[in-house]
Formats: sequence, C-alpha cells, structure tokens
Amino acid sequence: MYLLTIALRNLLRRRGRTFLIASILALAVIFFLFMESLMSGVMDTTFSNLVDFETPHIEVATGEFFARADDDQVLPPGESFIPDETVLAEIRAVEGFSALTPVLDISADFAAGKYEFPVMVRAIDPGTFGEVFKTGDYLVGGDFIEGDEPGVVIGEQLAGVFDLEVGDSYVLHLHGQRGAPVKLQGQVAGIVSVPNPDMNLRVVLMAREPAASAIRLDEASANRIMVRLENRDQAVSQAEVLGRKMEGSGLEARSYREAAEFLVSLEAWGYLETYFILALFLLVGAIGIISVMVLAAIERVKEIGMMKAMGLTEGEIVRVFVLEAAGVGAIGGAIGCLLGAVVVFFMETYGISMEAFLDLGALGVPIADRIYGAWNAFSFVVIFVFVVVVAVAASLVPAYWAARKDPVDAIQHR
Amino acid sequence: MALLEMERVEKIYGQGEVQVLALRGVDLEIEEGEFATVFGPSGSGKTTLLNLIGALDKPTGGTVKLNGCEIGQMSKNELAGLRRKDIGFIFQSYNLIPVLSAYENVEFALTIARKDRSREKKTQKVKDILRRVGLGDMMHRRPNQLSGGQKQRVAVARALVKEPRLILADEPTANLDSETSREVLEIMLRMNRELNTTFIFSTHDPMVMEYARRLLEIRDGMISRDERRS
Ligand SMILES: Nc1ncnc2c1ncn2[C@@H]1O[C@H](COP(=O)(O)OP(=O)(O)O)[C@@H](O)[C@H]1O
Ligand SMILES: [Mg+2]
Repeated sequence: MYLLTIALRNLLRRRGRTFLIASILALAVIFFLFMESLMSGVMDTTFSNLVDFETPHIEVATGEFFARADDDQVLPPGESFIPDETVLAEIRAVEGFSALTPVLDISADFAAGKYEFPVMVRAIDPGTFGEVFKTGDYLVGGDFIEGDEPGVVIGEQLAGVFDLEVGDSYVLHLHGQRGAPVKLQGQVAGIVSVPNPDMNLRVVLMAREPAASAIRLDEASANRIMVRLENRDQAVSQAEVLGRKMEGSGLEARSYREAAEFLVSLEAWGYLETYFILALFLLVGAIGIISVMVLAAIERVKEIGMMKAMGLTEGEIVRVFVLEAAGVGAIGGAIGCLLGAVVVFFMETYGISMEAFLDLGALGVPIADRIYGAWNAFSFVVIFVFVVVVAVAASLVPAYWAARKDPVDAIQHR
Repeated sequence: MALLEMERVEKIYGQGEVQVLALRGVDLEIEEGEFATVFGPSGSGKTTLLNLIGALDKPTGGTVKLNGCEIGQMSKNELAGLRRKDIGFIFQSYNLIPVLSAYENVEFALTIARKDRSREKKTQKVKDILRRVGLGDMMHRRPNQLSGGQKQRVAVARALVKEPRLILADEPTANLDSETSREVLEIMLRMNRELNTTFIFSTHDPMVMEYARRLLEIRDGMISRDERRS
C-alpha cells in the first residue's frame, strides 16, 4: 500500500518525464487502434463486397472448375452439372443456411461497335439470384433480369467503356464446349453500379435459359451453386462440413476465403505491418522507460539506501520501481485508448477516402468508395494490457540494479 | 545477556592492492537502555562501527551478536527483517523519503515494521510520537518544507515509532547549528529516559559528546577509551 503511494508520488514528482514517456506509449496505442480499425474496416468492406456481389459465403462446383477459375483461364462449360435434389438438400441442411442460387459462368468476349472486351457471362436463375446476391439493389438504369428474355445487365463501368445505355445492342462471343465461339446478340436491359470494381467491369448478367441453350447445354445446367449463410463467420467451418458430406459426388465446397486467397494474404500482410510498426513504437517507449528508470535509480540512491536500512527487502524495492513503470504504462495506455477511441469514432462515422492513398481497385481489392473503420473493444483491452506489460518488463533490469545496491554505499552515496 | 556483543571485530574495505583497515579488533558490549556515544575524528571508523552494529554490513573478522544472533551468519533477507523490527537508523543527511509527508514518513516506518496494528492505533501512535519531538503542527509538510532541525526530528520520530530495541544515529547533528543540535539531542535523551530505548550515536563534536552517558572514543579503528558517566 505504501509502496504504491510512493510509486505514484514519484510519478507525479517527475511529471515532465512521466508525461513524455507516457506520450510515446500513447502514440503507439493510438497508431495501433487506428490501424486495427482501418484494417478491420477495409477487410470487412472488402469481404462484404466480395460476398454480396461476386463470391458468396460458400460455393459448390467441381474441383476442375475451381482450379480453372482461380487461374483466370477460360471457364470450362464441360464442368457444368445439373444440380440434383440430394445435393441441394445437403446444402440446405448446412448450419446457418439462408439461400442458394445456381449460376452458369461462361467466358466470353463482349463486343459493341468495333471493340471487344473479355468478360464473364454469369447466367443466373432470376428467381433465386436476389436471395444470395445484392446486385439487383444497385440498378442505376433499366430493369434487372426477370424471366427468360435475352437482355443483359452490365456494370456501369463496362457500359462506360462501350458508351452503352439501356436499350443499346451488344454482341457476345461465348466460349462454348468446343470449336468457335458462339455469337449471341441482344440489348442492354439494365445497368448496375456496385461497389465491387470487378463486377462493375468484367461481368455480364443474363438469364440462364438463353445462355445455356446458346452453348447447347440443358437449361437446368449450372457450374456453381452459390450459397448464402446467415453469418459470414460460419462460412469456413460450414464449407468444410459440406465438403466432407459431398465427398465422392464429384463436387466440392469452399468458402469465400478460399476463393479470395489474395485478399486473405493481403489481410495477413496488413496485420503484420501493423504489428511491426507497433513493435517499433513500443521499442522506443521501452527504451524511454529504461532510461527513466535508470535515472530514477541514480537520483534516488540515498532514498533506496534508507529504505534498505529500514528493512525493506530487495523484492519490495523492485516493486516500487515496477509499480512506477506500470503507472507510466497505464497512463500512456489510458491516454492512448481515449484518443484512440476518438480517432476510431471518426473513422467509423465519417470514414476516410482511400483515393488519396492508393487505387485499391487496381490492386484487386473490391472497394470502390470510402472506407469506414470498425470498432473492436477487445483491441482496446489487449493494447492497454500489452503496453503495461511492456513498461513493466522494461523496468525490471534497472529496478533490480537499484535494489541490489549495497545499503552502506547507497546511504553514503559513493 | 547484553543487547550487543562484539568480539575482535575487524573490517577491511576493498580487495587486492588498496585495502583499508577500518576497524582493527573491536571488543564491545552494550546493555539495554544505554545512551552511548562513539566519539572520534573523521575517518576513525565511527560509521563503519555503526553499520556493523546495525546489521547493514558484515564484519570481515570477529563476531557481532545482536540479541544473541550472530549477524555474520544471517542472509540478506534475515538482516533486513532484523533491521525492520529491532533497529532504527538516524543519519547525518536525514534521508527522509521526499515524496512522503512528515506524518507519512513516520507511518511508513511503523507500517513496514509492525503489520499487526489497527489503523486507529497506528494513527494515534504516529501523532503521539510527532508531538513528542515537537512537530505536532507540521505533520503534513513534505521534507522540502522543513528546516534541517525539523527534518532530523522527523528522522528521530521515524526511528522511534516502531519501538526498536536499538537506535543508531550516525553524526545526527553534523548538519545542524549548535542550538538545533542541542534540541535534537535533548529529545533523544528524553526518549531514552521515557521509553528506555537504547541509543548509540556517533560524533566528532566535543559539544555533543557532553550528552553521552557512556563515552566510547575511537581512534584508527580501535576503541581507545570507554568511560561511563552519570
Ligand atoms: N566503502 C569503503 N571503501 C573503502 N574505504 C572505506 C569505505 N568506507 C570507509 N572507508 C574507510 O574506512 C575508514 C573509516 O571510515 P568511516 O567509518 O567512514 O569513518 P568515520 O565515520 O569515523 O569518518 C576511512 O579511512 C575510510 O576512508
Ligand atoms: Mg562517518
């Protein structure tokens, strides 16, 4: 109790020093909270934009199809299948299941006027597509796909490239089973603007019937079944469960994280970078604490000598120093968490525009507009505890050095 | 049994080439309740002697027994425990804890020495001792708001409060003017009479020497005179 009082008063006595070191630690905390909020904001938006428009929580297809799709090769129409009821029932039985929709993805070249552009035609089942994907909510012109009409829905960016409006004609060259591409003509039925750059530019949506029959597939054919769950966190484990159930059927199931390996590794790199910079900050803080504690030990040699003469053990004297360091850590951590909370609040409410920093779309990150930070209360607790622990660890060596001084020398200050 | 028994005590400082023989064969017995002065010029070995008596240091030869316990045989923590309970120190440079008030400095010493006392009793005891040394109205000042004499009185109160068997004062008046010195010595003498606490203090000042009831004169690390007065 008295040791604590002494530690606290010593902190106050050297206010300037205490504040300086606490500020460095606070800076580390603020930086960490900012980065952590930004990172989780970016990754949250990224994965939402992925899951809502492109690759859902779980997708089911043949292994060969997945391999080709990941390599950005021409998609193999031969890998299509007609989903049967047992497979669909298995999917519906997945924990947290919300909806499913079959799609037929076909590689194609989009042509209008004299230009051609490689795209992916996603032939959809208009009845269920909207239960899995939100693309339909982002219509900026025309109508979304209903029934079997051959009209297509394209992204705003693709429309911009070809200078197309609703009602304009297009030509698609579909890469079918074999031989030359199959030509398909029609009109632009709708234009969407989704916050996923890839979907805005490279994907053409149309009804399944005209697309399937153009490349001579049964109209019930699909090459992926897209599955939405109630909750993104279940995706990885449920994809595994489903994959095991479907063994032997020729089909495989995988989560959006497996589909987006690049983004997952980007996430890991982002965190690694955050931790690295955090470590640098804390190193500076730790060096500050060590030097402050050494100074304190030198200044207070006589005081320490007196405490030893009064019968305090070395352990108790170490405690005074450690408590002081913990105090600096706690002050720094508290200031950092407080200011960090303000920063995170602004990030969450107003977001920041990433255009100023880098073109995420070009990097392959599906974010088109502002990035909003995310709250993570657990990070506050973790970083606070961590800063205190670092401060205490940094004080141990100087504390033992001070405590082990011979009381006779210490009192005479030789 | 005497409170303190020293036999052929030697203390050599430094190893190797530069060795200082600070004490060369000291034999000494001190009884409970004595008020003894170690008198000698600077460098004669007074501080060394008091440090050995107070279990702050160990002799390089001979034996020092406090309460029958030989300090050469004790571990660091055992020595700390002994000092905590049974020995009070007063130094020339006061050595108060600067961040604690007069009251807190005294209470701190009591708290670490005797953990069993209730809070009210402790408060009572601390206030009482501070009043006795004449600091009743300055209890809440920090050391930097006190004069040298006042600081030394706090140090006296701090040493006394835990009711140790022995108080060691190493040149307690060296930094004080003669009038203040007298006041502090009067207080120590009165405490010795009222509480029967054993005091051993060192000095090189002949004026201070007059207060001694037993005079131990030390020269070149040896006790050259041992005389009792009344
Ligand atoms: N830690 C030490 N290292 C080396 N020599 C010391 C040390 N402490 C005291 N001495 C020497 O021992 C002798 C006695 O010193 P001390 O006990 O301090 O005398 P006094 O207190 O009477 O002035 C002196 O010669 C002093 O220089
Ligand atoms: Mg001395």
